[in-house]
Amino acid sequence: MTRMGGLNASLLIGMQALDAAQGALTATSNNIANVNTPGYTREVAQFSENGENQTGDEVTGGGVTLDGLQSIRDELLNIQIQQQTSLQSSVNTQSSSLQQVQTFFTSSGNDLASALTAFSGGLAQLSANPGSTATQQSVLANGQNLASAFNTTAQGLTAAQSDADRQVPQTVTQINSLTQQIAQLNGQLSQVPAAESGGTTEDQLDQLVQQLSGLTGIAITQGTDGETITTANGTPLVIGGQSFNLQTSTGTNGFQQVLDSNGNNITSSIQGGTLGGAIGIRDQVIPGFLSQLNTLASQLGTAFNTAQAQGFDSNGNAGTNFFTIPTNTNDAAAGISVAISNPAQIAISSDGSADSNGNVANLSAALTNKLPSGQTPANAYADLVFQVGSATSNANTQSTAIGQNLTQLTNQQGAVSAVDVNEETTNLMRYQAAYEAASRIVSTIQVLDNAALNMGSSSSF
Amino acid sequence: MTTVVAQDRDRIAAEYLQLLEALRGELDKAMRAIANNALAQFEESIASQQILSARLVVLAEKLSPSLKAESATPPIPVNDDLMHRILIAGDSLQKLNRTYAALLHHSSRSTAAMVSLFASIRGQFQEASGPRLKYQTWSCQM
Repeated sequence: MTRMGGLNASLLIGMQALDAAQGALTATSNNIANVNTPGYTREVAQFSENGENQTGDEVTGGGVTLDGLQSIRDELLNIQIQQQTSLQSSVNTQSSSLQQVQTFFTSSGNDLASALTAFSGGLAQLSANPGSTATQQSVLANGQNLASAFNTTAQGLTAAQSDADRQVPQTVTQINSLTQQIAQLNGQLSQVPAAESGGTTEDQLDQLVQQLSGLTGIAITQGTDGETITTANGTPLVIGGQSFNLQTSTGTNGFQQVLDSNGNNITSSIQGGTLGGAIGIRDQVIPGFLSQLNTLASQLGTAFNTAQAQGFDSNGNAGTNFFTIPTNTNDAAAGISVAISNPAQIAISSDGSADSNGNVANLSAALTNKLPSGQTPANAYADLVFQVGSATSNANTQSTAIGQNLTQLTNQQGAVSAVDVNEETTNLMRYQAAYEAASRIVSTIQVLDNAALNMGSSSSF
Repeated sequence: MTTVVAQDRDRIAAEYLQLLEALRGELDKAMRAIANNALAQFEESIASQQILSARLVVLAEKLSPSLKAESATPPIPVNDDLMHRILIAGDSLQKLNRTYAALLHHSSRSTAAMVSLFASIRGQFQEASGPRLKYQTWSCQM
């Protein structure tokens, strides 16, 4: 029984090992060259054992075949990262907008709370000095400041709303650009043999999908033609190699609406990402604040006007409206203004006599009594300030928490997919040492060839 | 006495043959380990090769009278059949050894290329912070 059959098998194994080594070298070169490339997923060569060779009674191993290069990625982690990215973008957009809004509710001397306090204080002084023209002038000025504070706060909220609105078409443009690129990469990936992974193309796709998830909430399913990406409510964005552009148009409320590729309005169903955050702050959060502010302006103005009507001004005329309040409550805070220009028109007197201050109590009470909303003006405003502060604080807290979660997930992804330089270095040194030792053995085996000539046989190796 | 010596040489020759075949098996195993990127198995095989080859050198010296200068008697030939098998096994081992040498040469050059590549970008690495699980990332199956 000779082993020549086994030798042929061994030679074949050697040849296959050379091919395998070449493929693996390509993978490692990529890995090290891209150690600092964001989103790069390390590759490893995938081998499969060949069948065994049998020569007579002898069975030898069949060596290995290089199947292809596989990127090491954890799809579940990728999905979690995309979801968290989407959530964080949404929260960050809202946080940024709320911080802008919050500046109008902080105590600055010109804010509503300060103006309300000053207005009440002026009325108290008027009660003590009803005939003082300077005090009357001061009350008028304080009333104008209060109206102005309402106007400024409403304008601040509206400005933040407009900023959010401007982000909608900008974000939609970015989304369309990304979905077109993703569809193109999907097309390229569909040409890659099943045994192989898309390597850098797939890395690029992952990067683009993650960017997309930062712009809007998405759902991803894997199909035979590549990834199918939809919005959270199922509106298709990418199916295989085809992308579906979103559109925008101005709605009846004056704000930009998001339409799917068929023209259906999907604005209210958009969630997550910058787009979801901007739409949420524009259509829900700020309108909520504005509604409360408008109610306060309308009810406070009405209550004060009612108190004015109960008295008489310095000329003995029945009190007229102190504030002009827009008919539409939705415009109350932005449009409220002082109706009188002469301080003598303040209805101080309760009986029309010049020395009466009897109606000042009614005027003051209008600022301290409960409004139809059930709250005093000061409490109603304090409640609004609390809500703005609370929403801002929640958004910041959420952003921090999601950021930490995202960092953990990214670290996990890095542990799975990134190139570990230390590991590469250690193994590189071990390989070098092993090859040196192996080379010495090769030389020793060559010497054995000559040794055989001296074994007392006429033959030689 | 001559018979005893002849039997002794045959026993050594038989062991020599056995070791040749074992070494051939180890070269097989080493090449497969290289192809599979099984560094630990590769190192294990090299350790076995070192033991086998060292023993083969010792036995080859015993079986080669010409190496002993003081010996004046002609060498006692090894059993013909055994010698024939040794020659075939040796021939097989030498051929495999040449393939193994080529693979090692290629792999060593690959390693050198990797060292060069590694050195060229050394200092540019920005290791990610945070916990990093230890994975076998060395995919250079040279």
